Amino acid sequence: MQNETMVDVKGLVKRYGSFVAVNEVSFKVHKGEIFGLLGPNGAGKTTTIEMLVGLRKPDEGTATLAGFDVQKQVNQVKGVIGVQLQSTSLFELLKVEEILHLYASFYPSHIDIPQLISDMLLAEKRTDRIKSLSGGQKQRLAIALALIHDPNIVFLDEPTTGLDPQARRTLWDIVLRLKERGKTVILSTHYMDEAHVLCDRIGIMDQGELIALDTPTNLVKKLQSTSTVEFRLTNPPEQAWFMEMDGVEEVSIKDTFVQLYTDDLQLALISLIQISAEHNLNIEDLQTRTATLEDVFIHMTGRSLRES
Amino acid sequence: MRAYWQLTLAQLRIFARNKQVLFFTLLFPVILMLALGSFVGGGNALSLTAGIVDLDQTDGSKTLNNLFDNNEGIETISYKKIETGKEAVENGDIQLLIEIPKGYEASLKDKNQAFSLPVYYNEKNLSASELGLTVVNGIIDQYSKKLVDYQPLVTIKKVGIEALNIRYIDFLVPGIVAMMIMNNNMNGVAGQISAWRERGILRRMQGTRLKASTFIAAQITARLLLNGTQALLVVLIADLIFNINVVGSWLTLIFFIALGTLAFMAIGFIIAGIAKNPESAGPIAGFASFPMLFLGGVFFPISNMPDWIQPIVKILPIAHLSSALRETMNLGTSILQLGTETLILGAWLIGGFVLASYVFKWE
Repeated sequence: MQNETMVDVKGLVKRYGSFVAVNEVSFKVHKGEIFGLLGPNGAGKTTTIEMLVGLRKPDEGTATLAGFDVQKQVNQVKGVIGVQLQSTSLFELLKVEEILHLYASFYPSHIDIPQLISDMLLAEKRTDRIKSLSGGQKQRLAIALALIHDPNIVFLDEPTTGLDPQARRTLWDIVLRLKERGKTVILSTHYMDEAHVLCDRIGIMDQGELIALDTPTNLVKKLQSTSTVEFRLTNPPEQAWFMEMDGVEEVSIKDTFVQLYTDDLQLALISLIQISAEHNLNIEDLQTRTATLEDVFIHMTGRSLRES
Repeated sequence: MRAYWQLTLAQLRIFARNKQVLFFTLLFPVILMLALGSFVGGGNALSLTAGIVDLDQTDGSKTLNNLFDNNEGIETISYKKIETGKEAVENGDIQLLIEIPKGYEASLKDKNQAFSLPVYYNEKNLSASELGLTVVNGIIDQYSKKLVDYQPLVTIKKVGIEALNIRYIDFLVPGIVAMMIMNNNMNGVAGQISAWRERGILRRMQGTRLKASTFIAAQITARLLLNGTQALLVVLIADLIFNINVVGSWLTLIFFIALGTLAFMAIGFIIAGIAKNPESAGPIAGFASFPMLFLGGVFFPISNMPDWIQPIVKILPIAHLSSALRETMNLGTSILQLGTETLILGAWLIGGFVLASYVFKWE
């Protein structure tokens, strides 16, 4: 049963006028898997999720969730999915407990509310107004609302955006516990570390297209280069100049910041030091590290996640 | 069904916790009522005060003086000197000054010659003076006819066709209740729904199995309860402060309050559907409500308006709501005779909701 397909997305396309927000996106998610959609803002992650949960109509393509067609069987789909939308606000004047009872009434059946409240670490805030909750507490409440009817598939759209590191970690634990309970989770994020920690598989999106799909480890492995040499250099020469160095596979230069990607860290470092001595380059802040998902993204798009 | 009750309850809780809105929606009509009610004066629309200077100081002059004193249509103030009396006329404190010159009684006894009383008035305040002169003339005329034992052959008898004494405040209160119903529902629904949409609250609910019809039904129920109660509260306050009696049946009154609430709510839903954001919902609702305030017979009777405007006025929902409330509260007209009002408000209600369901958007 572990390989049962819960989410099957086939060639989804969404256009706004001549702008293509989502272009031919296809992927499958298995039962009990945490699937991450990773990409910069505007990559089409939210639009993809909104098409899956029935908030937007795709222009082309189809998707089935737990066997139900998202366009033809909207009501059944809504019964098996739980949704936490990016930047949703709730009725500010209602209390935590009240809004859970309200949302519970929208479904034929629901799980135990006091238990759900304590699972989401909101027991102290049970009778507080939503207005008074912190960002992290509001996000946990949003997830509680998504879980109220015990759905099989949970959609979390940028659940940790805007939260402080502590609140993010608390939320990660909650997401990992969803997986333990056999839920299928689809989450979108633009944080590398989050995707790496949480997701079993990651789809990298850029400009409306799904450009890579694999486990985090495999994605990093697929980079021809496994290590990075980073340093600062006033007035760095052209990219091609570094490419001629031994062992350097790829070069990225942003102002004074230079990144060299390599498979052979030792060789690249030796040639860097030789070259800098010959040309009298003043290298600062030199450091090396192993490649991350961020590097995967840079490698595939030529841009970093933050700048786009 | 559970969703319907939960949503109604949630909406009522939101109302109850939004103290500011609750306070001002109730306060505004009451203040308006107090201001306009006391400003215009509780009783007669126009009060006449006449000054009397009795220079004769005889039994005959006192009889005449009493005659003015006892007349209901006119109030009297005595002055010692003509000069002070004239000043009061000029200042507008009194509208007329009646002088009873020395030798009045003596002249009465000599029945050969008509005696003339000088009455001073201010030409700048013509309408009040004219009215005052007519009243004074009537009193004197009657008195002199009595003195000469003259039996008139033809007289008139004054009969008000409604056989009721309707004050301006009586006219005003139903209008204010109608205005309040319009404001709270039309502007309230338009503002709230468009704000909820902007903030994504509606979109989140669209992601559940909740149906739009359930959501709207709960909205209507909660608002009907709240705004209906508020309107009744204003009627009660008016009853206590201004002694406004509801002549007709309270059931009819409640029926029209509910009908008006629903009709304006439907218009509110249309505006919420048309408005692209909460910022534009306000002006659109204002655009609809402002003319209705002036043309709808809230503050002034519709019949006072120019002929060309009448056909427009006759289809406005507020005109029929205020007229139905007025008929019920002031005259006690039975609901069976208010068919036109019921029909037109009903048409707005049904037409409004049909149109609203076409333009309603979750996002």
